[in-house]
Amino acid sequence: MASASGRQLRAMLRKDIVMELRTKEMIMSMGLYSLLTMVVYFVALSQAGSNFDPRDIAAGLLWLAFIFTSMLGLNRSLVHEKDQGCLEALLLSPVDRPVIFFAKAGGNLIFLLAVEALTLPVFGFLFLQGTHLDWGSIALLPLILIVGSIGMAGVGTLLATMSVNTSGKDFVLAMLFIPLMYPLLLGAVTATGGAIVGGAQGVSVFWTGMGWVVGYDVIMLLASYGLYEFIVGA
Amino acid sequence: MRSITTRAMIALVLGGVLTLGAFIGAFFWAGVPDFGFVRTAGQVDSVRYKGPFEQAIDEARYLANYAGYTVEVEADGESVRGELVSADAESVEIATGSGNVTIDAADFEAATVFGSEYGRPDWGQKIFYFHVPVAEISFVVFAFAAFYAIRFLMTRNRDYDTKNRVSMEVTLVFVGLTMATGILWTKAAWGVWWDWEPRLTTYFILTLLVIAYFVLRNSVEDEERRAVYGAVFSILAFIDVPISFFITRLIPSNHPVIEGGGLEGPMLISFILGQIGMIALGYAIYQLRMGEVQLQERIEQAKTLLER
Amino acid sequence: MTEEHQHTLALEVRDLTRAFGVRKALDGVSLELPVGAFLSIFGPNGAGKTTLVKVLTTLLNPSSGSARVLGRDVVSDAVDLRTHIGLISHNPLLYPDLTAEENLLFFADMYGVEQPHVRVSELLEAVELDHRKLDLTRTFSRGMLQRLSIARALLHRPEVIFLDEPYSGLDPHAMDILDGLIAQIRDSHTFVMISHDLDKGLELCSHALILAKGRVVLYEPREAIDDAAFRQTYRSTVGMGVS
Repeated sequence: MASASGRQLRAMLRKDIVMELRTKEMIMSMGLYSLLTMVVYFVALSQAGSNFDPRDIAAGLLWLAFIFTSMLGLNRSLVHEKDQGCLEALLLSPVDRPVIFFAKAGGNLIFLLAVEALTLPVFGFLFLQGTHLDWGSIALLPLILIVGSIGMAGVGTLLATMSVNTSGKDFVLAMLFIPLMYPLLLGAVTATGGAIVGGAQGVSVFWTGMGWVVGYDVIMLLASYGLYEFIVGA
Repeated sequence: MRSITTRAMIALVLGGVLTLGAFIGAFFWAGVPDFGFVRTAGQVDSVRYKGPFEQAIDEARYLANYAGYTVEVEADGESVRGELVSADAESVEIATGSGNVTIDAADFEAATVFGSEYGRPDWGQKIFYFHVPVAEISFVVFAFAAFYAIRFLMTRNRDYDTKNRVSMEVTLVFVGLTMATGILWTKAAWGVWWDWEPRLTTYFILTLLVIAYFVLRNSVEDEERRAVYGAVFSILAFIDVPISFFITRLIPSNHPVIEGGGLEGPMLISFILGQIGMIALGYAIYQLRMGEVQLQERIEQAKTLLER
Repeated sequence: MTEEHQHTLALEVRDLTRAFGVRKALDGVSLELPVGAFLSIFGPNGAGKTTLVKVLTTLLNPSSGSARVLGRDVVSDAVDLRTHIGLISHNPLLYPDLTAEENLLFFADMYGVEQPHVRVSELLEAVELDHRKLDLTRTFSRGMLQRLSIARALLHRPEVIFLDEPYSGLDPHAMDILDGLIAQIRDSHTFVMISHDLDKGLELCSHALILAKGRVVLYEPREAIDDAAFRQTYRSTVGMGVS
């Protein structure tokens, strides 16, 4: 059974990646959306003068971009399954429901990380030039991006599976997703801020934030894993 | 049907009398509860602002609303320490031992604000006897909602879905009351209507989650699917309740924390009366609403049977 | 239930109810269908036809009562049962951004079909789509999609095939092809078909079921059916459904 689940998980992941590489729909829309967000950030900060240190707000701005682009991708990934009733075909096949959850969440995680990997250097290039960066602590950033994205993809997949079946998909997803994401966002912004500011204190702040996010991931992923069967079968 | 209404009425009367008793006790008998409701004295939180003058003064003015705050302003290479008298965009006036000193914005370099003695407990604190029980009940009813959600997912019995929904409605009522009283108290005690402080923030998130529950339900067509989604989301949302409850104990927060031994005599009795009264009121609201919903369902049932 | 039943009965439904509160999508449905039969399910909208098929295909759990397909309980033996049934719906259940071949290979992986490439090309040939196997199904016509969807349903060699209004939205030519395909596999499979088309349904079936408001109005083998009387019953139940 375990090997069957593994085979099914790989098949679903491969299918999502092949479809994405073919259409580039999610990566394109999420990537461009995050670039547009950068423009909005510039406008928002244009009146702030040069009295502030961009490193202090960088973490918040980054995660703001991530959370909004992630919603775009989550919606699309589930709309694919819903469009021609493919989710029903998956449910008809001899697959354990949690495998569907892990496959969809895994696919979303990959796309999310791809967009983050794209956004991060662009953001640094546009907003953090000329500031002092501690590369030792910056090297910790991928860690928090991955751990934070795991929580976003997991909870987001569960919520998007619900919201594709509602009227007003995008709004419902935002309404459910953002408040539930709050603890994760706070931890992730704390950790990211610590890594960007750097120094011994920054690194200690980073680990505190990481602790929060890891705790959130564990609780929420267990809950999502347990509840997915009800959602997908409803 | 009848028994529900009777029970609800008894609870309503009991809750009303107890809550009223708690209010009378709180206002005419008990003293003013004195929690460290301002930034706690002792662990003086001195905050040094060296940002733009306006920002530092803004903070100073905000803190000056708590009586007895001390500021130290560094200007022109010297520093002046004393009680803040007034502050605006051009200058700041400080009362020192040797008379008042006015410092111009142009000379400003940095300001340090020191925490001080407890703020004066005042009548605004009396809202405690209402605010705390209401907030507690909002958590408790939410817990019931989550419990019924789990029962529903286990049994698929529609009655549990109804109970889950009605519990969430009652939660919404109490969350609304908590927010309203909380905001009033925040204004009275902290001088601002709102502060992004951990307890307030997590509770605000809780409010959004409860609203989101109803947004979700209203946007699902199929009845059973609506019930399943509602149940799943109320379980997920409930995770915020312990976070909101314990956060003031985990990370530094301005929100007062009730710890055992803080209340004595008349205050404790009034407080407990208020809590019991509020539980009874919560139960009454739940049962009344439940009676109404069950009536609706019976009508629906009758209609379905007539169609056959 | 007994050994003998497992071999002779494709469907074994006992007092099946699917309810939420007072609303009953299925209300005490009982029926038995032998292996190799062709069951046509008729009934007005909201009669519970789709719910019945969803319960039998393990997509929904019964509220009470039981259902067995090929002797396997739809709840406790669900995962095993899924490898023995296939569904052809009016919805193609295919990914538009995958090619015909990729779609079939994906589902072959999901079912754990042995020698997937051989099986897939065999099926593509059978539904006359091997010349289009490298094209995205997005570019397919309704009829081609339906043919591919049949190939998908047959991938894992199911013994019972469920058809949910397979003819809806098909042009006459595509209908002919579908008829041909069903005729080819008719003898080796058990069929359960939801149909709005009375003539088509009666022509194909060996057993006919009329559902209304979640209850069985009529369930008889084809031989026992008097066409005129059947049509009369059908019309009156459809009329009931309108209220």
